[in-house]
Amino acid sequence: MEITNFNVLLAVLILVPVVFGVVAYFSPWDKLRSLSIVLCSVIVAAAGILITIEPNNTFELPGSEMIATILEVGIVAVILFIAVKIKNWLIILMSLVQMGVIIAEIILANAGHTVAHTYDFATDPLTKILILITSIVGPIIAVYAIGYMKSHQEHAPPTAASLGQFFFFFIAFLGFMNGLVMANNLKWFSFFWEATTLCSYMLIGQDGGESKKNAERALLINTFGGTAMVIGVLWLVVENKTESFEGLLLAKAVIPMVLLCVAAFTKSALLPFQSWLLGAMIAPTPVSALLHSATMVKAGSYLVLRVTPGFHDSTKVMMVITFIGALTFAGAALLAVTQSNAKRVLAYSTISNLGLVVACAGINTPLAYAAALAIICFHAISKGLLFLCVGRIEQKIGSRDIEDMGGILYRMPVTTSVALIGMMSMLLPPFGMLLSKWMAIEATIRSPLILIFIILGSALTVFFWSKWIGRIQTSSYHPKFNKETMDPAMGFSLITLALGVLLTGVGSMWIFNKFFAPITEQVFKGRTDISDVLWSVFTAAGNFAAVTLFVAVGIAFLAYWLLVWRRFKETDVRLPYLCGENAESTVYTTSAFHNSEGTRSYAFRSMGDKIENSWSSTTYLKNFICEKKATIWLNLIAWVIIIILLGEAHLL
Amino acid sequence: MMDKINWTQWIIIAVSLVAAPFIGALISGLDRKVTARMQGRKGPPVIQPFYDIIKLFSKQPIALHKLQILYAFLHLVFMMLVVVLLAMGQDLLMILFAHAFSTICLVLGGMSVRSPYSRIGSMRKIMQMLAYEPILILIIVAIYLQTDSFLASSVMDMTKPMLWSMPLLFLAFLCAVAIKLNKSPFDVSTSHHAHQELIKGITVEYAGPYLGIIEIAHFYETAILFFIIMVFWQTNLYIGFGLETLAFVAILILDNTFSRLTTTWMLKYMWSIPLFLSIANIIWLWSK
Amino acid sequence: MFNAVSKSPWVVHFNCNSCNGCDIEFLACLTPHYDVERFGILHIGNPKHADVLVVTGSVNNRNARVLQNVYNQIPDPKVVVAMGVCTSSGGVFAGCYNILGGVDIVIPVDVFVPGCPPRPEAMIDGIVKAVGILERKRKGEVFPTAPKPTHTFKPSEEQSAEKTEIKEEKTV
Repeated sequence: MEITNFNVLLAVLILVPVVFGVVAYFSPWDKLRSLSIVLCSVIVAAAGILITIEPNNTFELPGSEMIATILEVGIVAVILFIAVKIKNWLIILMSLVQMGVIIAEIILANAGHTVAHTYDFATDPLTKILILITSIVGPIIAVYAIGYMKSHQEHAPPTAASLGQFFFFFIAFLGFMNGLVMANNLKWFSFFWEATTLCSYMLIGQDGGESKKNAERALLINTFGGTAMVIGVLWLVVENKTESFEGLLLAKAVIPMVLLCVAAFTKSALLPFQSWLLGAMIAPTPVSALLHSATMVKAGSYLVLRVTPGFHDSTKVMMVITFIGALTFAGAALLAVTQSNAKRVLAYSTISNLGLVVACAGINTPLAYAAALAIICFHAISKGLLFLCVGRIEQKIGSRDIEDMGGILYRMPVTTSVALIGMMSMLLPPFGMLLSKWMAIEATIRSPLILIFIILGSALTVFFWSKWIGRIQTSSYHPKFNKETMDPAMGFSLITLALGVLLTGVGSMWIFNKFFAPITEQVFKGRTDISDVLWSVFTAAGNFAAVTLFVAVGIAFLAYWLLVWRRFKETDVRLPYLCGENAESTVYTTSAFHNSEGTRSYAFRSMGDKIENSWSSTTYLKNFICEKKATIWLNLIAWVIIIILLGEAHLL
Repeated sequence: MMDKINWTQWIIIAVSLVAAPFIGALISGLDRKVTARMQGRKGPPVIQPFYDIIKLFSKQPIALHKLQILYAFLHLVFMMLVVVLLAMGQDLLMILFAHAFSTICLVLGGMSVRSPYSRIGSMRKIMQMLAYEPILILIIVAIYLQTDSFLASSVMDMTKPMLWSMPLLFLAFLCAVAIKLNKSPFDVSTSHHAHQELIKGITVEYAGPYLGIIEIAHFYETAILFFIIMVFWQTNLYIGFGLETLAFVAILILDNTFSRLTTTWMLKYMWSIPLFLSIANIIWLWSK
Repeated sequence: MFNAVSKSPWVVHFNCNSCNGCDIEFLACLTPHYDVERFGILHIGNPKHADVLVVTGSVNNRNARVLQNVYNQIPDPKVVVAMGVCTSSGGVFAGCYNILGGVDIVIPVDVFVPGCPPRPEAMIDGIVKAVGILERKRKGEVFPTAPKPTHTFKPSEEQSAEKTEIKEEKTV
């Protein structure tokens, strides 16, 4: 084993966060902890960028068989210990099954069952994208967490765990995630997978009390996925004598692939496994931003993207996978319409987008693959940003309800502008998310059933985002905006991610042509089942003149600035029309408009000159869509599909 | 991509940008004239919308705050962008998204002010979008299934008129046009007649030149929609023009005979009958 | 750009405390029989879109404030047409405990249309006159407000004599 740049960077990316996590755990002073987190962030970000520039490489760790097995046993033991402590029989059962599987593998190895040994870690373009996301977006969220947790801990209940424990799991998670995406050997992969589950459990339960139940649910569902994964790996070892991704794709082993996909569905919280992600929203906001939108849940979609290109022959299995993804996309969007809790809306939106990634991966054409990559990237940045904004807004106004977020444009102009950028980037051209959704619709065109779901899903997506965007920028006239004071760590993260969203939005077609297109071409070369028509649609999408969209936005802003911004006088301001009964002064003076921003009410004079408050709510369609019933039905359909999936793979 | 546009195309783009609002205004004026004749009165001159627009631009520019004006500009510019993209023969799905962006900007402009009528109008406009978007995407899908391309220019290469292969989609599209032009029974968010229920809905807090901008955008939208109806018979544009006239009269009759119904009815109706017809048409095309 | 404001005057209508007689006659102007839409006049419910404010009824303590509010929300140039005799003197309600008097106490009026109720022809006459004033305001002229109508019906000598005769006959 030589010390090359690649090896060093690999070690840095995986081990440095763990080391700094330990430092954070044991550091007695807050300042030392913050400093170590910032240092870790800088190192990890630099290492991530450097490894991306390095050409693709592989790494074999001597003695990795033994190390991986010990680590796997260790992590399953920890989960078993936790399960015993919380007395959850299902998790105990599943952990015992996992332990049994690992022991079976050890016995097999000792009995001389040879397994093709290949490299343990590797980077290829798909890995690099995820490393970039984890190493750049991750540290930014970590810096935000420094500022956020300061005030969070002041209001925390007495059952809350310490900040040291929080940051240990938070920072170490970055290392585990990097290891997960770089692992080629499935043993290492399952170790890192279970490690992220453990981090998620500890972080969700941070505040203690009520959140312990949600953490338990997350652990249950993720352990179910982990069990499916180790069973799949065992099958692969026994039947095909290999234990790496490379081997899996070469052997075209359908059963392990399906089991891995089921594990991916649990991690990515697709239907019917979405309840843990909704419950996980009780965790502090940085946790939701890092684990449950930007990185950990992407591990599931990464897994699906990695295994599906090799299985285009098993068309029925692919169709079922696509169907689950599409159902999730439409179902989660439908449920998001009924939510007024901001974090639940974001959670459902995340589930919805992950479903779309899985659907695109299942379709298995070049454009679909590129669309899946694009969604992963752009969604990570936008959703991370949105969670950070919601956390900040929640700290300021004390509520997570969308209906309470009126009037924040004046009180927190910077945060609101950043939140507006984030929300618009999820929905509108010319940002990346819209381009990826556009490509996804174009990619699914040949399968009408999937297409219907995607169309309904995107229409519903527009619905719930527009409601929210409209609510946060409701305001009255103010000649000057409030100066906003924010914790510098939080401010830095918000501004950086907002700039990231804008830059990737502006450069989205460039990114597509420079990164996603070559990756796709490499993955799909030699595939004889892709027709010319499909290739031409792929190239046409890459040639789209996105510049016209930017020119249009630029013209609008320029016209606004020239014609309105400087010419708009205070004497041009009028009251809103409330049939003439505005409770605010009818004589036009400046002081009339500087009333407190009643976030919900329009005050008007009623009978006897009494001042009444009216309130018009946004539409949640609660008469049509009852969340509980819809969830039950959707879960039922999704379970049926999972059983069909297992049946297609001849497992049942 | 931009260097592939030659002079002819630039001229076409410029002409469409300038001509579209005129055509839209004339259609609006004709709408009012024919409606008046249907009601047994004389009605305003056909060029009345031009007088309206010129008058609006000579009024004092009042507003509630500056942000809503920005949204009015964005609404207009993106509607113009739709015309430009259509003239360039670009990707139909992207044209649809640009159009959706334009409508969303109007909605956000309505929601950015603290006015209850405006807010309710915006919510209803979003529900209108929810009602008609699936049908528009399905039309684009149908075009792809026949031409294997998403570009608008590929429609002109089809040998048979689109109406022959997409009759049910055409009917559904007429419903979508009725919604977009805010005609009864779908005029739930804003309308051209003094409806006392919402006091003008979304545009209630826009005045003077800013209302003028929104009206011009509405003319662009009218022109685009009727152009698309004409293109449904793209092989012979004279017959297409006749089709357009028939559609115009049909929508007018619809407007004058129906009264306004509720938003929930609109949503339920659009997601059942027209959507069902569209899906049936798509399945027929797909199985061919 | 030629002056289009006279070709497209949009009207908002406000009822102060009228008995609705003037309002009904005004709405009759919109019917096919009189059809003011051929002049481009639209009945708009929203003051921010309007050019002409048509007021009926007289002003009391409660709606003085509301009338002022609605008037302020109309963008310049604007004209006010006061329909009916209630708007100038209080009409049949003159002298009531809550009536402040005519509309010109609160807002500047450009045209008074007398009558109780005025006929639709008289109303259209008034609106056309107001639109002419609107056009001149658009050009920048400063216009004084209209004087209150002073003409009230006085019976002629013969009619008074007739009435006295009838009275005398009855007492006999």
